[in-house]
Amino acid sequence: MFNFNIIKMKNITKHIKKLNLFILAVTLFSCGEDFLSPAPTSVLIADTYFESEADLEAALVNMYDGIQGVNSTSNGDNHALQVEFYLTEMRSDNTRTKSSEGEAAQFENYSVVATNGIVSDYYRSFYNVIFRANTVLAHLDIATDANRAKIEGEAKFVRAYAYFNLVRLYGDIPLIDKVLEITDPEYNSIAYTRIAKATVYELIESDLLTAIDGLDNTYVSRASLAAAQTLLAKVYLTLGTNYLDAQLLCEAVMGSGFTLEPNFKDVFYTELNNELIFSIGYIGDSSQDSQNFSAEWLNAVGRTSGVNYTTEDVRTVIDALGGDRKPYSYRVDTEQPSQFQVAKYIPDGDTTLDIAPTSTDPTSAGNDWIVLRYADVLLMHVEAIMAGTSSTSVQAALDSFELVRLRAGLLADDDNNITKQELLDERRVELAFENQRFFDLVRFNEAQNVLSAFSTATGGNFNASDLLLPIPQREINLSNGLLSQNPGY
Amino acid sequence: MKKQLKNSFWVIVAMATMTLINSCDDFEQFEPIGENSIEDATPPNAFFSYSQGQGVGDAWKGYTFANASTSATTYAWDFGNGETSTDVDGATVYSGEGTYTVSLTASDDLGVVSTYSETLEVVEPEEPLVANPTLINPDFDKLPKNNGNSSDCACSGWDNDDIGEQGESSSGNGGSDNVLKFDNNEPDHIYQEFEVTPNAEYSIAIVTSFKGLENNTPPMDSMLEVRVLSGAGYVSGYTPIYYATATEYPSSGYGYTTVAQVEDTTNNILTETIVNPGNDNYNTTTYTFNVGANNSVALFVRGMGGAAGGEYGYNSGDEEIRADSVTITALN
Repeated sequence: MFNFNIIKMKNITKHIKKLNLFILAVTLFSCGEDFLSPAPTSVLIADTYFESEADLEAALVNMYDGIQGVNSTSNGDNHALQVEFYLTEMRSDNTRTKSSEGEAAQFENYSVVATNGIVSDYYRSFYNVIFRANTVLAHLDIATDANRAKIEGEAKFVRAYAYFNLVRLYGDIPLIDKVLEITDPEYNSIAYTRIAKATVYELIESDLLTAIDGLDNTYVSRASLAAAQTLLAKVYLTLGTNYLDAQLLCEAVMGSGFTLEPNFKDVFYTELNNELIFSIGYIGDSSQDSQNFSAEWLNAVGRTSGVNYTTEDVRTVIDALGGDRKPYSYRVDTEQPSQFQVAKYIPDGDTTLDIAPTSTDPTSAGNDWIVLRYADVLLMHVEAIMAGTSSTSVQAALDSFELVRLRAGLLADDDNNITKQELLDERRVELAFENQRFFDLVRFNEAQNVLSAFSTATGGNFNASDLLLPIPQREINLSNGLLSQNPGY
Repeated sequence: MKKQLKNSFWVIVAMATMTLINSCDDFEQFEPIGENSIEDATPPNAFFSYSQGQGVGDAWKGYTFANASTSATTYAWDFGNGETSTDVDGATVYSGEGTYTVSLTASDDLGVVSTYSETLEVVEPEEPLVANPTLINPDFDKLPKNNGNSSDCACSGWDNDDIGEQGESSSGNGGSDNVLKFDNNEPDHIYQEFEVTPNAEYSIAIVTSFKGLENNTPPMDSMLEVRVLSGAGYVSGYTPIYYATATEYPSSGYGYTTVAQVEDTTNNILTETIVNPGNDNYNTTTYTFNVGANNSVALFVRGMGGAAGGEYGYNSGDEEIRADSVTITALN
């Protein structure tokens, strides 16, 4: 179902290449138990590939390769993170397609169907990421004692990150916590049984706690302690049951040396800057490690005529509350001046905004994707202190809120009382087009109100059941009646 | 002719009557019945969730309902307040507090119907008031200590031998056996953990009396140090236990176990020092503090001003200090 056995040939290192070969080998030769006995020496097979920690390191990098996704326009490839904006921003009140074309427009119209290819792409991509993480975990025994906790933590962070995205997008989902072979007698019952969200969250929480124990803050474009703390804080806020630990986790990150970039522009155009907690790296003009979502957001530069264009709704809020953030949030489409593009992650430069291109070919862009950054932590800190109530006047919350506002060239909160609506608006403006808005609306319990009003205004077809995506029809079909569909599809 | 017409009339009437009587049976012949009929394989299943409005004013009276029915095409909502709707999702505003039964009837195009109901308790949410913390033996009464295995003490419930010596029972402020004494030149202390609401503000009022200054050379004036310690600083793996009576409290091996932990500034929410006021009255000193990201904190008070050294590294100065009571109040 999830392309478990074939990882696309998109190698970052020689090691990944080897890893792919052995997985391919497994696929080709998995007919009989002793078919490969004695083990061949001229090809790599799963049973013998993992010999040293260097092989595990290759398998760790392989997880990020999965999140990165393939830079291609082929429907069959796993595009992973590169199509995430369709399912999040374009399903919120922030963005839309430029020309209402194709299945991409189903998101803004709230008319997504179960056969939507992007919905299926993201689902299989992230189960493939989970498979890659489970592969690392299955071979922890070859890690040295000194590094085992770190390797386990890194794999579990990635697994938790993937499940957290999937469970928020699709609801109850199959829960796979081991390498699931097609020959496994339980294959069907595991791969096609939807597990209650609460159980999925239990695995996410325990994975992130393990990650916090095992990781340090060495990396930004790989898992780190701060990334695990931030993600767990977000998990607790999403569950709404453990605001105290969410606050403690935010405060732990706040004491770890991260700072807001003085200029908002540098958050997006200075890679690996000090505000970033977790990002996915891309390399411009690389056939293996570049991305194309930046080009898709331009006017007919990518495959589409332009997607993730800003809505009037979001521009009104950015104009009112954005401060210095506005020029690096959206810009006019010079080829079609009635339209406005996202100004974060521009691939081909902008002389007015003093932004350099990240590649010679915009469809092979090098802009990294920011998953977690410090401003998000500060605003989550406010949210944790608010603890599900409608407002807060606690000084610690006012302080965190003020930091974000001052960086944007604005003043601190005017009445020393931050309401839920003010926090939601601040998050919208600060984190616009970073795939946060949809999840924020759901977490603040405002999704139905806000999106039904937005949909009415824009002629969409929103119902509350649109807050969950459909389980891809392909999975339903393969499951032979085992998988049930979400309501409304 | 007339007769013929009359006969015809009766024949027609008879035929029409026959037809009416037999019509049902006749038509049913052409309906698929029994094993020939196809069942509704996907009957509708009605379900919904709801949420209360949040925000200022009367927002709490508004409810939104999210339709989660399956295999249905039409819907009928009854919100229990006289309002109905046939929209997919529902929304209504209730007139006030009360109990309402909301039902959703979901039907499919074969006319199969499913109904789901839920009873709603509409209540105006209250401003959550922060409760006053519970301190045990806050008046320093002489009570059984250590489950009756030690002699009675005003320090009952207030002793942590890992970070200081227990204060002794004394009398004062118009009572007997009702105050706790911090001896001169000794490392006497009080310590107790209590439950708090995260990020809430509290005030602490402590009633103390200092003996007159000895004015020795060099002067070693006694001072009373008041600290509120973060629950985050408790020894690893410790979960605080709030006993109902002072006698149940342990006297070591819990919460804070070293003076170094106590003095670690990151563990201190409040650090204040009460100096000798120059009279021996019972004076009230008040401080406020915010507990931050803690649901448990500890109050620690000790005599200071004396020579360093000894078992705990600190000692009180040359004058006795007495404490009559401590009161902690939530500031709402």
